[in-house]
Amino acid sequence: MDNIIEIKNATYSYTDEGISHIALNNISLNIKKGSFTVILGHNGSGKSTLAKLLNGLNTPTSGDIIVDGMNTRDEEKELEIKRKVGLVFQNPDNQLIASIVEEDVAFGPENLGLEPEKIRECVDEALKSVGMYEFRKSTPHKLSGGQKQRIAIAGIIAMSPDVLVLDEPTAMLDPKGRAEIISTLHYLNKEKNITVVLITHYMEEAENADRVIVMNDGEIINDGKPEDIFQNVKQLKEVGLDVPQTTELLYALKQKGFKVNTKALSIEDTAKEIAKALK
Amino acid sequence: MSVLEIKSLTHSYTDGSPFINDAVSDVSFSVEKGEIIGIIGHTGSGKSTLVQHLNGLLKPTSGEILFESENIWQKPKEIRKIRSKVGLVFQYPEYQLFEETVFADIAFGPKNMGLSGDELTRQVEEICRLIGIKEEYYSKSPFDLSGGEKRRVAIAGVMAMKPEVIIFDEPTAGLDPKGREEITEIIKAYRESTGATVIIISHSMEDMAEIADKILVMNKGKLEMFDETDKVFSNGAHLKEIGLNVPTVTKVFEKLYDMGIDVEKDVFTVNKAVEILTELKGRDNNA
Repeated sequence: MDNIIEIKNATYSYTDEGISHIALNNISLNIKKGSFTVILGHNGSGKSTLAKLLNGLNTPTSGDIIVDGMNTRDEEKELEIKRKVGLVFQNPDNQLIASIVEEDVAFGPENLGLEPEKIRECVDEALKSVGMYEFRKSTPHKLSGGQKQRIAIAGIIAMSPDVLVLDEPTAMLDPKGRAEIISTLHYLNKEKNITVVLITHYMEEAENADRVIVMNDGEIINDGKPEDIFQNVKQLKEVGLDVPQTTELLYALKQKGFKVNTKALSIEDTAKEIAKALK
Repeated sequence: MSVLEIKSLTHSYTDGSPFINDAVSDVSFSVEKGEIIGIIGHTGSGKSTLVQHLNGLLKPTSGEILFESENIWQKPKEIRKIRSKVGLVFQYPEYQLFEETVFADIAFGPKNMGLSGDELTRQVEEICRLIGIKEEYYSKSPFDLSGGEKRRVAIAGVMAMKPEVIIFDEPTAGLDPKGREEITEIIKAYRESTGATVIIISHSMEDMAEIADKILVMNKGKLEMFDETDKVFSNGAHLKEIGLNVPTVTKVFEKLYDMGIDVEKDVFTVNKAVEILTELKGRDNNA
């Protein structure tokens, strides 16, 4: 698979009241086209800073970010990069602007200067892909948090991005809203071949990812498949993170002498492991 | 003794207009002194509207709120008194910090209650010690702190009034796992040292399972369930229907139950799960 994003020795520092802070310290990372990557890290570990570098909202202090062959420092490529890499933030209320759902989703394609028929097509397609087509004439503020966030995602999808970067999109949602967003993201990844980079504080959301990256103090401290990453219970807790409750349960049982494979992550596999060990 | 009694509480927004909308509809329940109550419900189910009535921030359209058997709206002019007895920590409370120093911010509430001098200092220091705000922070600007520290200061500001009932509206939203655990520890510490009654709104079923004695479930403005934590979480199917969930470990037990293994479905913490499974294994081995 080709790399859609290449991060080469990226450092990002800023100065606050004369004191210099390093938010990202010499990060190198490639994101493969069509992959689903989850980034975990405590508050202030540099996750959000990284997200903002990926579509050129910020440029690194040193090092380079290459999106589909284009450097985010290249001002001529700015619009193309921003169209290719869409960013979704935590609070859906801050991202919705229009009073009707479909008008909100149309904002992006309108700004791209598309023909009206083409805009209609993009908007309908985007709303269908997040399961919100039937709400196209609704008022965003009457929708639930999860629905609003899906509208925000549709607004990005309508511009046909290659990559979707989401910075804690489920932090303000209830359990149903959270589940809606995660299944929408997996649908977009599998069916629409959109590369997903999901930043989250919920360990469970990493369960079905292709790859999990763990950040701490501006550096990448671990990178691998979810079932392998969550084996490092001690390391994760040390950096203010956790493991899914399924892993926690299997670990505790293993210590009590149960013969279980602690790499099971889903509810189903965990139950099977326990049933097997009880026999 | 019931510290709070809510009787047929209804709150309608835009009352009297064609857009009338009951945010909370005919809700009744009572809270015993010293209990920890968790409130769960989908976004827009009326949780926040409900708790804003408990300290008189909102006035019911109909119904009554009794604090220690007295209607809090009996003397409307004295409604402010209830706010130091029933403290409310809003969602993202760190956005409400405003003073020049951490100390002054925490002291604001008790000062408004009429405390001054040594007594004020003592009360603020006591809370800071209890929840781990170090002395070197007192003179710092709250705006120079990290997000998690700011939230701790904002919570201290409410605790410093020594409320008998303290309400938290999604106290751990937006925090990483360690931050969530720290806030939970603060809440437990306050409860242990003061014996206060605690009410917490949360979307995290796992956190609720760890801390709550009872759970109140809101759905579309109505009270759907109010019972002991294990009883509520044994209604997994019903909770899912109304946009909620059960802790992950409970889902594992639902699966085990479906697979024909001899377990109950009302297991909601990892510790309890390990205990039950270890016992089950021992029994099978001896059989």
